Amino acid sequence: MKGYIGEFEELVLLTIASLGEEAYGVAIKESIETRSDRSISIGALHSTITRLEEKRLITSWLGDPTQERGGRRKRFFEITHQGKISLHHVKDLRDELWKLSRTTLSLAK
Amino acid sequence: MKKENIKPPAFAEKFFEWYCRNAAIEDLHGDIDELFYANLERMSVAKAKFKYCQQVLSLVVSYAVKKRKKKSSYHPYTLNQSVMIGNYFKVASRNILKHKMYSFINAFGLSIGIAFCMLIYLFIRDEKSFDQFHSNKNQIYRMEAKRNSKNPPTRDAALQLGLRNVLKEELPEVKYATRFNSGRAVTLHYRDKIFSEKIAYVDADFFKMFSFKLLAGNAEKIFQNKNEVAVTPEIAEKYFGKEDAMGKTISIDNGGEKLFTVAAIIEAPPANSSLDFQILVPTESMRGYERQVEDWSSFGTNCFVQLLDRADSARFHTNLVKFGQKYMGNIELVFTPLTDVHLMKSIGWHKVSDPQYAYILGGIAVLILAIACINYISLALTTSASRRKEVGVRKVTGAGRLQLIYQFGIESLLLACISMFIGIMLVILFLPSFNQFTGKEIAIDWKDWAELLTIGLALTFIVGFLAGSYPSIFLSRFQPASVLKGHFTSQLQANFTKPLVVLQFFLSASLIICSVIMYRQMKFVATKDLGYNKDQTLVIQTQTGWRDKQANKIVERFKTRAQGESGIVSVAGTGSSFAQGVGRFWYKINEEEKAAYVYAVDPSYLSTLGIHLVQGRNFDANVFSDSSAVIVNEALVKDLNWADPLNEHLNWREDTVGLGSKVIGVVKDYHFLSLEENIEPMFLTMDQFFGYHTKMLVRVEAGNVPASLEKVQRLWKELFPDKSFNYSFLDQDVAKQYESYERWMSITGLATGFAILISCMGLFGLAGINAVNRTKEIGIRKVLGAEVASIFILLNKQYVWLSLIAFVLAVPLSWYLMNRWLASFKFSIAISWELFALSTLAGLVIALATVSYHAFKTAAVNPAETLKYE
Repeated sequence: MKGYIGEFEELVLLTIASLGEEAYGVAIKESIETRSDRSISIGALHSTITRLEEKRLITSWLGDPTQERGGRRKRFFEITHQGKISLHHVKDLRDELWKLSRTTLSLAK
Repeated sequence: MKKENIKPPAFAEKFFEWYCRNAAIEDLHGDIDELFYANLERMSVAKAKFKYCQQVLSLVVSYAVKKRKKKSSYHPYTLNQSVMIGNYFKVASRNILKHKMYSFINAFGLSIGIAFCMLIYLFIRDEKSFDQFHSNKNQIYRMEAKRNSKNPPTRDAALQLGLRNVLKEELPEVKYATRFNSGRAVTLHYRDKIFSEKIAYVDADFFKMFSFKLLAGNAEKIFQNKNEVAVTPEIAEKYFGKEDAMGKTISIDNGGEKLFTVAAIIEAPPANSSLDFQILVPTESMRGYERQVEDWSSFGTNCFVQLLDRADSARFHTNLVKFGQKYMGNIELVFTPLTDVHLMKSIGWHKVSDPQYAYILGGIAVLILAIACINYISLALTTSASRRKEVGVRKVTGAGRLQLIYQFGIESLLLACISMFIGIMLVILFLPSFNQFTGKEIAIDWKDWAELLTIGLALTFIVGFLAGSYPSIFLSRFQPASVLKGHFTSQLQANFTKPLVVLQFFLSASLIICSVIMYRQMKFVATKDLGYNKDQTLVIQTQTGWRDKQANKIVERFKTRAQGESGIVSVAGTGSSFAQGVGRFWYKINEEEKAAYVYAVDPSYLSTLGIHLVQGRNFDANVFSDSSAVIVNEALVKDLNWADPLNEHLNWREDTVGLGSKVIGVVKDYHFLSLEENIEPMFLTMDQFFGYHTKMLVRVEAGNVPASLEKVQRLWKELFPDKSFNYSFLDQDVAKQYESYERWMSITGLATGFAILISCMGLFGLAGINAVNRTKEIGIRKVLGAEVASIFILLNKQYVWLSLIAFVLAVPLSWYLMNRWLASFKFSIAISWELFALSTLAGLVIALATVSYHAFKTAAVNPAETLKYE
């Protein structure tokens, strides 16, 4: 199943993409929490981010130190080309399944 | 409450940082902090804090932290040293090779220190191993007599001959008991082989008590017949050669020849056995045994008992007290465990040793090691200047302080390791001479090597740690910015090394003073006028029992034969010769217990030894009453408060009818005992109660001693062809009494030599560094007109001061130590200020000679050479 990613991983990847230049730990967490209305722990989020980095779906760099957060630097994330391919894989699979559905999935009555 | 001032809970933060140690978690930390401040806006402070803790926990268990921690451990510049260790060794070995002279000084000192420590360890181990090989060692005790009437009470192991039998019969706790009467020389005769040997009288129980292996014979049945003998393989081979010794008959002449059958071959006692023997015969075979066993007033037999396995030694003690009252009168019977016998200095034994010496030796070894460690520390500190840049660069490229400490630590450890291997080689090299010095027979078995290596490694780590810790802490403290900017002053290090140099010289100086005093005392002992003439005097054993009338006849025959022979001045017979055992006699005068040393002599005794008569006359062979008369010494006259000794009688017989022996002369006091003792009361007698002449003194002419010796031997062979010629020189016998002191003097001397050598090498190194540091200063001084002499003084002044301080400190210590050492002599030199002055001067000269090389070299350099690069 190379190239396929889990649901939470997809969520994190897409959130990183949606945040653009401002994708760092807290921002990703807040964004997912408000959008999906669920509470996620910072540990779980960073675990997933680490795995995504291991799979080379994202890269990261350290920002400049700022006055907030005790002068500690933020680590920013960015989707790699590989990450984009993975997202496409998931999306293609979904689209295909949507199209193949024999039951109408339309919610309109 | 202003929410901006609220901080995340400190303990959670600390925990997080501690848990992650040096993993890169700056971003994660920032994230939770940011969330905390955001939460403060949304909820109560307590809840925000609680959430913070929750977040820390979730991170701690998360994969993110796990991964980052794992990654951090591969990072080279971190606490995990595994990657760097190889590099440390490389740097350390390069540094050792780069400073060849300092490395040599350090390794030399440390290896001698380590070698000394190992030798001392072997020595102490050998001392402790005495008599440990007996399987019954915990049940065996040596019996002793304690005389409480004396002040202070005396204690010795010489007991009555009959004691053993009654002990075994009457005390229920005693399982086995044996006498041990050793050291008596007798003549053994088997076919054409005649030798004089020392035998030991024991009882059959001896073989059951002690774990000396019987190579042939039956331990249960031996000595049931009193004409049996047990010999060591060495003796068996000496007399019987390759033949089987068992069952052979050999004649033993101990005041009358008797035939003995070899009933057992017994393993020779090891070097660490308190009991030493070669030939064992039953005590019952002793001449006049039946009469002597009833004699409860003469003491001269050692006795060992083995208690029953479950016996209570306290109970034994109370039983002994009752028993003692019955047989011993006012003498108390006491006992010592066999395993303690060797180190009981206070009780005379033929193989006894003073535990103090082990401590002294250990102390010396530690001193030498300490001096070597100080060398390392002071040299490392003074050469630190050249390593400052290295430390700076290392720190700038990311090395932590701990890492530098490790690096320097490994450097000292490596040096210590090298020293350990050199030290082990030195041990192998010097073990024979060490054995000679200490009179031991230590051998290193292959199985001892594991132990020695362990000791060596332990020493290495201790030394590496002691010597390496301070320099490494000191060196790692440099601030890279100030070091690399280059305005670092080099005045710092001298202050650290000065106290170390003083300490080092203090130790060496104490040793110097001690050896000078010991040397003086030994010289005093060797040259002191003893009151008689000990030179050119032969002591010949007549090889007869002291109860054997034959003895006096042998002396008489020899005396007659030797008359008129050139080279032989005079011949005298005596019961005991100096330093070959003494006879002491206890008697009562007016209910007061008195003791005197007794010498059974003949009329030519005084003239042969050149002893001065102060009153009265010598014995005369033609005056019949002289055979019961005595000549006393001045000490005895004083002891008995005689005003006119020539009109007195010495009633040693405790005769109630007669007056006792007439005193016919008084001799000037002379040292018939060693100089450790006072001159005690003594009398000379011809009375045969005190035995016959087992020794013959022959004074030969001073000119050609070897020729005279040969003549004496020829005459002996001519007169007594069946007796071996056993002789010694009186002066050598007397010198032998001080053998152990001589040994300790040479050990201290050796240690002093090494201590001086090592500390001088250290001083040499220091002076060299100091001179190099001041090369430019001296160049400038010379340009401005300074003389070579003044520069020489400038460079040496501080060392002279330091060694003077050290000597002043060393005086009280060595004075105290030497006072204690000299206390074992009743006759000793006075410790005077000249001795200290002499030692101080010697030490100063040595120190000055050491540092002068560098001073001369530096002072002589043309200033143009040193200043041309400025």
